[in-house]
Amino acid sequence: MSVERHELLQEDVGAYLLGALEESERDRFEAHLHECPVCSDEADRLRTAVQALPRSVMPIPSPAGLKTSLMAVVQAEVRERDGASARRFRPVAWTTERLKRSASALGRRPGLAMAAASVVLLAGVVTGAAGLYAIENATDEQPQRQASSRTIVAKVDKTRVPLGSGSLVLPPDRENGAVLRVHGLRPLEQGSVYQVWLERGGETISQSLFTVGEDGDGAAAVADDLEGADAVVVTREPAGGAKAPSENSILTVAL
Amino acid sequence: MRLVQEGNPRAFELLYDRHGGAAFSLAYRMVGNRVTAEDVSQEAFLSIWRSKARYQPDRGSVRTWVLGIVHHRAIDALRRNLVHEKRRSSAEGIEERHEAPEREQTDVEAARREEARHVRDALENLPKEQTRVIELAYFGGFSHSQIAEMLQMPIGTVKGRMRLGLEKLRKGLKEKVA
Repeated sequence: MSVERHELLQEDVGAYLLGALEESERDRFEAHLHECPVCSDEADRLRTAVQALPRSVMPIPSPAGLKTSLMAVVQAEVRERDGASARRFRPVAWTTERLKRSASALGRRPGLAMAAASVVLLAGVVTGAAGLYAIENATDEQPQRQASSRTIVAKVDKTRVPLGSGSLVLPPDRENGAVLRVHGLRPLEQGSVYQVWLERGGETISQSLFTVGEDGDGAAAVADDLEGADAVVVTREPAGGAKAPSENSILTVAL
Repeated sequence: MRLVQEGNPRAFELLYDRHGGAAFSLAYRMVGNRVTAEDVSQEAFLSIWRSKARYQPDRGSVRTWVLGIVHHRAIDALRRNLVHEKRRSSAEGIEERHEAPEREQTDVEAARREEARHVRDALENLPKEQTRVIELAYFGGFSHSQIAEMLQMPIGTVKGRMRLGLEKLRKGLKEKVA
């Protein structure tokens, strides 16, 4: 360690610990810490003061919806993890075609987004709302694809839906759509539904309609290819759905 | 913490119950609005959950570790959002938002408030110019050069005040404990 270098850098220790150095300065100072016991000791000593700073903040209660939303994601990921290890269960392909076929089998009209959403909801109930696994005898078309599915947390307009939360579970391949899960949404009056939209390059495409139970929980399909999409959003619309969103989204999943 | 590292959701929930309030309070103190503070807190806890936690007991308490993660996330949020730009014009905002609304307190909450008062007293006992640069850096997420520009002083002075201020704060906290 050179004395000149120490004298040049010793003044940086406070700014370093407070995260106030520019990136290149931080790298330079960290390299210096490895070779300078004087600065290293001082950094260790002053770190206790920095670690006390967050404790100076007066505690305020965190919003109840925050824990609900956080634990919803955690539980969804646990279900997916546990589901992945279940031997008798195989993943259902997350394709629009698959949703349509399943809808037909249930006597619903294929092609309607509402039907697709209903299938997703039913599948969720059958499998413990886990991740669209089903007991089936079909050939293994999509081996292990659920193993790397991804969950994105939704941003919710807390002024309109204070207790709301949601997350979008994406399969590894974005071409195969996704499932949106919501919690804490207000059950709508008769004549209204929640509508899911996909935003892509300035275009807004309707995906499905859904309602929520008394507990505010619900799920809906996003059947379109998500490749290149910007966001999945939810609005409240008249029963039957709208051609275009009639309000700003209450829930947004940025892709 | 071992159970959290093993991916136990109940253990994770307990971790949130214990430290979620402090995490949200810190995030709110830094970003200045509830929605962003919620995002920051959620991102921080999800990163703990997903990374299966790399907590090292020899580096401090669990609370210190959690708050360190929240602090980093809040800094990221400040630097990527316009929030920073809006607050730049009013550095006073950094010193505000201390008082929480009065409500019925549990013993734990009362202890936390007492601890907060204790650290704040030590911070407020520093020369004002030292408190200011420390708060702008830690809670505001500003770099030393940004602070120098805002306060119109040389960068060397800013760095010196940070270093001196932290040393005095450390001694002040030590004296209060002793």
